[in-house]
Amino acid sequence: MAGKSKVAICWLGGCGGCDEAVVDINEVILRVVEAFDIVLWPVAFDFKYDHIERMDDGAITLSVINGNVRNADQEEMAKLLRRKSQLVLAFGACACFGGTPGLANLRTKKDIFDWVYRDAPTVVNPEKNYPKTKVSSNGAVLTLPEFYEQVYPLNQIIDVDYYLPGCPPPPDLIVNAFMAVLEGKLPPKGSTLAPHKALCDTCERNKTKPSRIAIRDIKRIHEVEAQSNTCFLAQGILCMGPATRTGCGETCININIPCRGCFGPVEGVKDAGAKYISALASIIDAEEEKDVKRILDKVNDEVGYLYRFSVPASILRKRRVSEVEEQ
Amino acid sequence: MKHYEPKLVCFSCKFGWGYLADEDELHHRIKNWVPIICSGKIDAIHVLEAFKQGADGVLILGCPEGDCHYQDGNYEARKRVYLVQKILGAYGIEPERLRIELAVDPEGKTIPQMVKDMSDAVAKLGPVKKVKERARTAAMAHR
Repeated sequence: MAGKSKVAICWLGGCGGCDEAVVDINEVILRVVEAFDIVLWPVAFDFKYDHIERMDDGAITLSVINGNVRNADQEEMAKLLRRKSQLVLAFGACACFGGTPGLANLRTKKDIFDWVYRDAPTVVNPEKNYPKTKVSSNGAVLTLPEFYEQVYPLNQIIDVDYYLPGCPPPPDLIVNAFMAVLEGKLPPKGSTLAPHKALCDTCERNKTKPSRIAIRDIKRIHEVEAQSNTCFLAQGILCMGPATRTGCGETCININIPCRGCFGPVEGVKDAGAKYISALASIIDAEEEKDVKRILDKVNDEVGYLYRFSVPASILRKRRVSEVEEQ
Repeated sequence: MKHYEPKLVCFSCKFGWGYLADEDELHHRIKNWVPIICSGKIDAIHVLEAFKQGADGVLILGCPEGDCHYQDGNYEARKRVYLVQKILGAYGIEPERLRIELAVDPEGKTIPQMVKDMSDAVAKLGPVKKVKERARTAAMAHR
């Protein structure tokens, strides 16, 4: 046992789908278990955090961390695993870019608490109780982790060695990542363990793309019957393919759903949404201001579309609020 | 609100703006002036990065409609601006902080006034709110 490399798999602010994805590598997981000692995997095994705390610093070879950091508990866990691990892999869109929960960065903590604990139609809270970090009851002190003002991708909290994006990451790339660690064939620190190109470069439908796409009317996927073998953009349906890293295996495209961008920006790009703006603007076939507005106003919730998985990792990161609003 | 001097970034296309002027002198009169070749060169990333780095407003000067040296760079810029304005709004940055004008002024005499006009409009909005960044603490030391 002692000679085996140790791996920890941990779930912070995410939906659990990434843990599920690890299980989805099927029988390969037996090879992983053969090669590694799993020292932590809350979703699957009953390990205690103080076991990790008692380990020597750097004793864990690899920590696979999925989910973003939204509260003090998640931050503590991320920092503990960083201290105990030689390598940290940010696993999944939430760990890499903040993920869908990162859209909450367009609201303040106060907005969120007011809605969840006061204003939502299903809430019954006559005593107006809000979560507190500390509360005394009959002499006992109860604590809750602090809920932060914003969502953080993992690399804004701890140093991250490698990234594996996706919602969730696909099995082939997960296996590659584990094998790369086992065989010591890792790319330079900071790399994303996925191809560098854009999704359009590997998309089957690229062949059907006309030499110049000209969108005169933007359609939403549920409003039309999308052709199953034609480029979505050529059909006027927004697809994040041009600005999104490939490697997902085109799973959405294969079921006739346009790319939503869960693999994040292509190599060398920081803000996929901004790049997509440039790509989209150039294929809108209009010059007059009123025509441009008519076409683009059909996009419902631009920021939600362009930054569905990446608000916390985008250039602006979070909504600016005045101090009055913040109180 | 107390008056303050907003930080403005002005991008202008060299084909239409100030190409006959003494560039050094204009640079002296216009803070953060970035003459570029074609307004279509300005990516959404440049605009967002300007706001990230503390700009309170961004002014883009492109060539008149139908007069782009590269056919449609100015139209592309205008379409991008419209999209970026929507994004800025969602991030709590007033869309009026980004403006594009398509016209021509080879001597660039009107640029300082345009920058001033926009600066006055932005001054009324006040500074862009800063997002408080958390200090990267002890864990970052472990490398």
